[in-house]
Amino acid sequence: MTYDFQFGYIVDTMPALLDGLLITIEVSVISIAISVVIGIVGAAIRLFEIPVLSQVVGGYVHFIRSTPLLPQIYFVFYGFSGLGLQLSTFWSGVLALSLWGGAYNIENVRGGFLAVSKGLREAAGSLAFRPIHYLWLVALPLGVRISLPTMLNTAVSVLKNSAYLQAIGLAELTFVAMDRVALDFRILEMFAAIGVLYLGIVLILSLFVRRLEGVLQRPFRTS
Amino acid sequence: MDNGTAMISVEGLSKWFGPFAALKDIDLKVDRGEKIVICGPSGSGKSTLVRCLNGLEDHQSGRITVAGLEVMNDRRRLEQVRLKVGMVFQNFNLFPQMTVLRNLTVGQTWILRKSQRDAEALAFEYLEKVRIPEQAHKYPSQLSGGQQQRVAIARSLCMQPEVMLFDEPTSALDPEMVKEVLGTMTELAGSGMTMVCVTHEMGFARQVADRIVFMDEGRIVEEAPPAQFFQAPRSRRAATFLKQVLQHHTAMAEA
Repeated sequence: MTYDFQFGYIVDTMPALLDGLLITIEVSVISIAISVVIGIVGAAIRLFEIPVLSQVVGGYVHFIRSTPLLPQIYFVFYGFSGLGLQLSTFWSGVLALSLWGGAYNIENVRGGFLAVSKGLREAAGSLAFRPIHYLWLVALPLGVRISLPTMLNTAVSVLKNSAYLQAIGLAELTFVAMDRVALDFRILEMFAAIGVLYLGIVLILSLFVRRLEGVLQRPFRTS
Repeated sequence: MDNGTAMISVEGLSKWFGPFAALKDIDLKVDRGEKIVICGPSGSGKSTLVRCLNGLEDHQSGRITVAGLEVMNDRRRLEQVRLKVGMVFQNFNLFPQMTVLRNLTVGQTWILRKSQRDAEALAFEYLEKVRIPEQAHKYPSQLSGGQQQRVAIARSLCMQPEVMLFDEPTSALDPEMVKEVLGTMTELAGSGMTMVCVTHEMGFARQVADRIVFMDEGRIVEEAPPAQFFQAPRSRRAATFLKQVLQHHTAMAEA
């Protein structure tokens, strides 16, 4: 028995899939952006060993990395509203993914900061730079450059993990596809379609980061 | 406030790294405009001493005063001290992602709050002095070691310090580049800057230093004007050290 693969079905469902893709892109881009900010702020707190805050950040990273994402999403969606924080499905998803990606980015950026030579920190200190100057002018531009590949990894993971948000009913790409599968049982068509769509956006994200790396590497090319 | 003409005054300074005593009861006075060369065998504490002068290393006992300010382990105080004290490192430590010009202006604009225009004007003035104005728009990685070190000196000078510290500024350089850096330092000495240099370059010491400070095992063993130090060192340890350094130099010259 052969499966009758119907391209026409993909074409017919494409508008719905693209709606889902748009939600996936929106939730991912916002979450990636917030997770980068969390990563930088958290790594800076750890870099300067700010009392109390540094321990809080350490605990947060440990918690996020030691628990599965799905319960984290449920916790944000159901738990936070129980605590009085009313968020829409979309923003619950953004918050959950941002907290998740942020924890990983703290470690990514921290690794980059630690790779910046001690001598540069001493040079900055000798020029009477304050910690904030060192952070902004030296540690960030150099450290982020070093941690960019691992940050790309995390960004791709955030994007792929947005599929988990179907669990709280966010109509992102996977949710739409599963919905159609339940209705029409065109399983292969749907998975082929979302496979290509996910591959496509991850590819675009990777190209963007590679561009960024190229720009940041410019000073290090000799001659 | 101003302790006579003393720019740097160190009294009873001791420092430990864990159980290891790196500096033992150091006393040192440096007058305004004086040039001091600190030498001694490796591990004698000379780098640690200059690094204590601008608080890159903190100290456990004793008192350090630089340009009228006591060096204390307090962030604001250290910033005040470091505004008056420039430092040049063995490994240059230029900011690699910035052009030469920006290395020279970044401190002026961000810390001294000068306008970009004024900062660049001063930067070019010092780049002329260290003879590399044509490299202003290159990145440090595109320069030779000697050029990078001259940029590092210019970067420090752009903050218009009252004292310059040099921590083995030529030790990471190829022999042919040592000369250009020493030349820059000699010219700086001629301009009246107060300088404290840790270096093994005895030719430079003889020519430029007002005083040689010889250290061994965390102590200042001998302090003397160069003529006296080189011709008739009082301590045996200094005599041995000089013999080794001079032999090395002769060997280099013959090679």
